[in-house]
Amino acid sequence: MRFTRPLAVAAAAALAMTAVGCASLSRPTDSGEASESTDWPTGPITMIVAFDAGGGSDIGARLLATALEDELGVPIVVENRPGAGGQVGYTALANAAPDGSTFGLTTIPGLIVSALDESRGAEYDVDSFAQSALQVIDPMAIAVTPDSDIQSIEDLVAASEAGELTATTTGIGTAEHIALLQFNEAAGTDIRPVHFADGAAPATTAFLGGNVDILLSNVGDIMPTLENGGARAVGVLAEERSIFVPDAGTSYEAGIEVMIGSSRGYVFPDGTPQDVVDRMSDAIGAVLEDEAFQEQMANAGLQPAYMDAAEYEAYWHEQADSIGSVLELIREEG
Amino acid sequence: MDLLDSIGQGLANALTLQNLLFALVGCLIGTALGILPGIGSTAGIAILLPITFTMEPTSAIIMLAAIFYGTSYGGTITSVLLNIPGEGETAITSLDGYQLTKKGRGGAALTIAGVGSFVGGTTATILLIVAAQPLSQLGLLVGPPEFFGLVIVGIALLVGLVGKSIAAGLISAAIGMLIAMVGIDPVQGLPRFTFGSAHLLDGISIVPVLVGVFGLGELLHVSANSITRPKAPKLRELVPTREEWRRSAPAIGRGTIFGSLIGIIPGVTATISSLIAYSSERRMKKHGHELGTGAIEGVAAPETANNAHANAAFVPLFTLGIPASPAIAVLMGAFLQNGITPGPALFQSEPLLVWTVIASLLVGNVLLLVLNVPLVGLWTRLLAIPFPVLCAFILVFIMVGSYAVNRSVTDLIITAVFGVVGLIFRRTGLPVAPLVLTLVLGPLLEQTLRQSLQISNGDFSIFFTRPMALVLIAVAILIVITSAATKRKRPIAEVILPTPTPTSTTQER
Repeated sequence: MRFTRPLAVAAAAALAMTAVGCASLSRPTDSGEASESTDWPTGPITMIVAFDAGGGSDIGARLLATALEDELGVPIVVENRPGAGGQVGYTALANAAPDGSTFGLTTIPGLIVSALDESRGAEYDVDSFAQSALQVIDPMAIAVTPDSDIQSIEDLVAASEAGELTATTTGIGTAEHIALLQFNEAAGTDIRPVHFADGAAPATTAFLGGNVDILLSNVGDIMPTLENGGARAVGVLAEERSIFVPDAGTSYEAGIEVMIGSSRGYVFPDGTPQDVVDRMSDAIGAVLEDEAFQEQMANAGLQPAYMDAAEYEAYWHEQADSIGSVLELIREEG
Repeated sequence: MDLLDSIGQGLANALTLQNLLFALVGCLIGTALGILPGIGSTAGIAILLPITFTMEPTSAIIMLAAIFYGTSYGGTITSVLLNIPGEGETAITSLDGYQLTKKGRGGAALTIAGVGSFVGGTTATILLIVAAQPLSQLGLLVGPPEFFGLVIVGIALLVGLVGKSIAAGLISAAIGMLIAMVGIDPVQGLPRFTFGSAHLLDGISIVPVLVGVFGLGELLHVSANSITRPKAPKLRELVPTREEWRRSAPAIGRGTIFGSLIGIIPGVTATISSLIAYSSERRMKKHGHELGTGAIEGVAAPETANNAHANAAFVPLFTLGIPASPAIAVLMGAFLQNGITPGPALFQSEPLLVWTVIASLLVGNVLLLVLNVPLVGLWTRLLAIPFPVLCAFILVFIMVGSYAVNRSVTDLIITAVFGVVGLIFRRTGLPVAPLVLTLVLGPLLEQTLRQSLQISNGDFSIFFTRPMALVLIAVAILIVITSAATKRKRPIAEVILPTPTPTSTTQER
């Protein structure tokens, strides 16, 4: 992949020249936008989604892309670059020209784990991106079988002291695994992970078949199983209750200060002009305000959680710190 | 009767002009996607998903489901006629299918495959109608230890696939297993054999390997050898002979059983159904030894099994809300987008929709049969294209297909490398089937073993204290012992030298 860098630079240069050319040719835009220093957006914007088309992350991103087209008035081209839990797509995103023509979906903890875990050999680090806006925080839910005695997070802690409990994850270093380690650390429990690296479906099957005691999953992904009566949520690892499972208490209510889930936001490659990043941030904010859009997201099991560029950047680094310390734990377990 | 009433209403609704049209469109798109290697049902459904947002939910789901099971029909065509399988399940079909084409029976093989798929798909759908609930419970009995047992049975079937030389078969199997080891280790999270490349962290995808070994390898081999290419069969040769029907019927029956049963287990891909159906045909007394040399059973059984599997895979979706395969997961996304949660509650909350979709599976299988069997003649005309031209087209399709899976240039390199590997296999007489088997089963073997041990906290007795796991492992041991015993009884000459029947060497070519 060595040859891509000069190519990217050349492409960036070419694009920058085109942008300048277009800027000088195009007529001044109307009122509000005329005050902006650059003429962004001038053409189609590529949104890199580091996951397969059709998955939960992709659906949320595609919904947003469609709405952003109306908001920004330019085509948004969704480009799926799946592979290595997002690492392939994130690499492409980090190496893209920082001229506002490319941005992408990133998920936490996935991106941060891949950047911090040295064995993954990522070409980027947590500072390779310019955070623009957060769209969704999908909190981690803890579910048990419907006939279980465990009714709350407190019951779960008590039960884990009484006997050995196991919980599903979707692999080492995934949101579920990190959530479990953080929960064990904070609650003093010793719930053992069973890793289903091939995804949520085998994990759910093993849980429904009674092979694993606890089903750990994002609220968005676990909803079908809950609605079908296959599982009952006893808690969410968040500060506030989820609108989708209002009966499940939060970790904070139980005095366990763990907040984790899958958070999905949008970033540009580092070095992109800040006003471009901010304007995208505002555009995403405007889309998320729209009620029809909120309903579309709710259908997909996604709870909107907007953060603007500054808030998202702070959240990003806060998460990087806490995930970094959990990765230490994983390494020690080794 | 309640059930008949429900399915009757569903059928009536599925047969409205609009829904019939969408089923037809889905079948056509599915067949077209299947013909292109690499662009499987998962990608096909995902790409078309956004289009369906504006459609009526029932029609949308009918169309997407038709794409899903339509692709396995399309994949058969290129596997049988050109030896370019697009996915694991059709790779199995090409083992005998392509040999049949060389003998001029390619048209007959496609007809049998079409009929077998219809029988398998329809039977599995009827099972879904009458016994979805109990079947889903059966699927749930398969936890990681049982899954491990099933994989061990699959690996044991290897002994039936190794061909004339056990050593050559094991070399091929070991190479497949080695390829399967590449990527992030599923339990420790450490990269293996990735050579520092992020593109290898996910492992090597099956599709580029298969189109490389089968498609590109075949092209290189044929181009370098001036082997006479199969000719396009004449019209009357498209119809299977009475003998071919007679031999296919039991194979179709067995394929239906394997596909329907294995299909209801979430997480097991159709390739495994195909493999098991094919391997079991190899173990049949009467014609088993002919498999690999162009035996009609070698097409009938796996083709039936994979389509039965595709339809049976709806059982866990409708009864448990679990997507059994990546393609079904995308299909489930389509349900959710339309505000419908697949699962048992759906039979109460949206009975008409569920029964219409299920009925559409029946309709779709009929549509595919009437679409594809008459078209067999057209497809076989592909062979009439002058070889240099066809070769160029195939090369383009191979490269597009392997690129399409992950949209990654690395996959193109992998395809090229495995094209050379395929050439070496053909030149040295190594069998390809064991490689496919371990490539597919390798990752499952590792994951299920380690998941089981995580559940039991490292105690190996979990494999012997759970009845179903124990039985499956015992079956595997039995297969190995009986195979070893029958091999020994045969005169040495027969094991080493090709039997006088249509030479077994053709299998390796």
